[in-house]
Amino acid sequence: MEAMRILMDEHQSLAAIIHAIRHMIKEIGAGRLQPDFKLLAAMVHYLDAYPEKRHHPKEDAYLFAPLRARTRDADAVLDKLEAEHADADARIAVLEAAVKHYASGAADGFDSFRTAFDTYASFYRSHMLTEEREVLPLIRKHFTAEDWAHANAGFIIDDPMHGTRAQDDEDFSRVFSKLVASAPAPIGFGAGPYKDD
Amino acid sequence: MTQTSITTPGNTGALNPVLEIKDLTVSYGKVEALTNASLTVGEGQIVTVIGPNGAGKTTMLSAIMGVLGSKGEVSFDGTLEIVPEVEHMVARGMTLVPEKRELFGEMSVEDNLTLGAFQRYRMGKRDQAQTLEEVYALFPRLKERRDQAAGTMSGGERQMLAVGRALMAKPKLLMLDEPSLGLAPLIVREIFRIIAELRRRGVSILLVEQNARAALQVADYAYVLETGQIAMQGPAHELADDPRVIEAYLGLGGKHQAMLST
Repeated sequence: MEAMRILMDEHQSLAAIIHAIRHMIKEIGAGRLQPDFKLLAAMVHYLDAYPEKRHHPKEDAYLFAPLRARTRDADAVLDKLEAEHADADARIAVLEAAVKHYASGAADGFDSFRTAFDTYASFYRSHMLTEEREVLPLIRKHFTAEDWAHANAGFIIDDPMHGTRAQDDEDFSRVFSKLVASAPAPIGFGAGPYKDD
Repeated sequence: MTQTSITTPGNTGALNPVLEIKDLTVSYGKVEALTNASLTVGEGQIVTVIGPNGAGKTTMLSAIMGVLGSKGEVSFDGTLEIVPEVEHMVARGMTLVPEKRELFGEMSVEDNLTLGAFQRYRMGKRDQAQTLEEVYALFPRLKERRDQAAGTMSGGERQMLAVGRALMAKPKLLMLDEPSLGLAPLIVREIFRIIAELRRRGVSILLVEQNARAALQVADYAYVLETGQIAMQGPAHELADDPRVIEAYLGLGGKHQAMLST
């Protein structure tokens, strides 16, 4: 099922970015790494532009809506997940503000950013695990061949393993590679600091 | 050697097989590490072999390459190799990126890459400069570090160098042994993105991985190797959706969910 493969793949991308930010926060907190504010901002931008604005709408349209049409068993969990999807702008705004505050040199900048990121990462951990543990099994159980064809077609045009390009021509594969290149070793290739295009 | 073809049921997407092995068996003394394993890699395909530690994955690659003695049949690029010999297989266009990378640590990045083209140079091919630029285009980080000693590079960079060196040979078949081993999630994602890009460029790949999730996401066809035997096989997207694979390799205890839970 291509839709499932791509969904898992996108979760992996998201989890990898979250893991990288968490690692950097830990190293900065321990005094072993100087913050690269542009890299942190670029990673937050990726979280906004890819999972929040691209991944979630696909889940809503090609997985959740058809599942609702097949069974009522998932209504409660889908209500929760869709509400979380709808809250994306507010969620990312908090994170962006925390990066800016940290970059401004505020005395509490690092602690504020760490707290905001921990909240974000904790939310996403719970969100993705709920999808994978509760919703995907129901999708596998209830989807018809027609549902799968619809979902596969919807997901495959946006497959990060084969290059993904947003309407504003932002190439997410290239953006991801740039983040990996700029992130400090051992989580990235250590070519930083991050430079704007 | 004789021109022949092995009929291996299963990987029907492999219309033009680059590699076919049939009933490959490897023994360490009285212990059979690999038993009657058969698989096919088609031209331009990514075929993965997943399985736990000790399943026989590396043994299989070593036998195909001719590093280990084996019984059975190995047909590479249409030619049956009765007894695969490593130098012969390399000369015919088979390359292996071993688990430990096996780079020359005191040599520069560029010298390591250049060595990858040695076999072609010896055969009279003089296109190494162009190939080097192609590798640098795929791995810009290697170009930035072309003069740096390989031994001073990070784990992710060394893995890219190992893959880049293999590509310098312009292989008909690229075999990758655990390319994600020991690497951070961000780099693993990048390595697998590059593997997908190699398929788009027409490289045929046999990928051995413990990271079943990542391997099944990128592969066309997959084999599950357990205790030296092929336990399951099928299109990668179907195996990824198989309850037995999910339970054993992709389930709640799997690396993927562990990563989400980190």
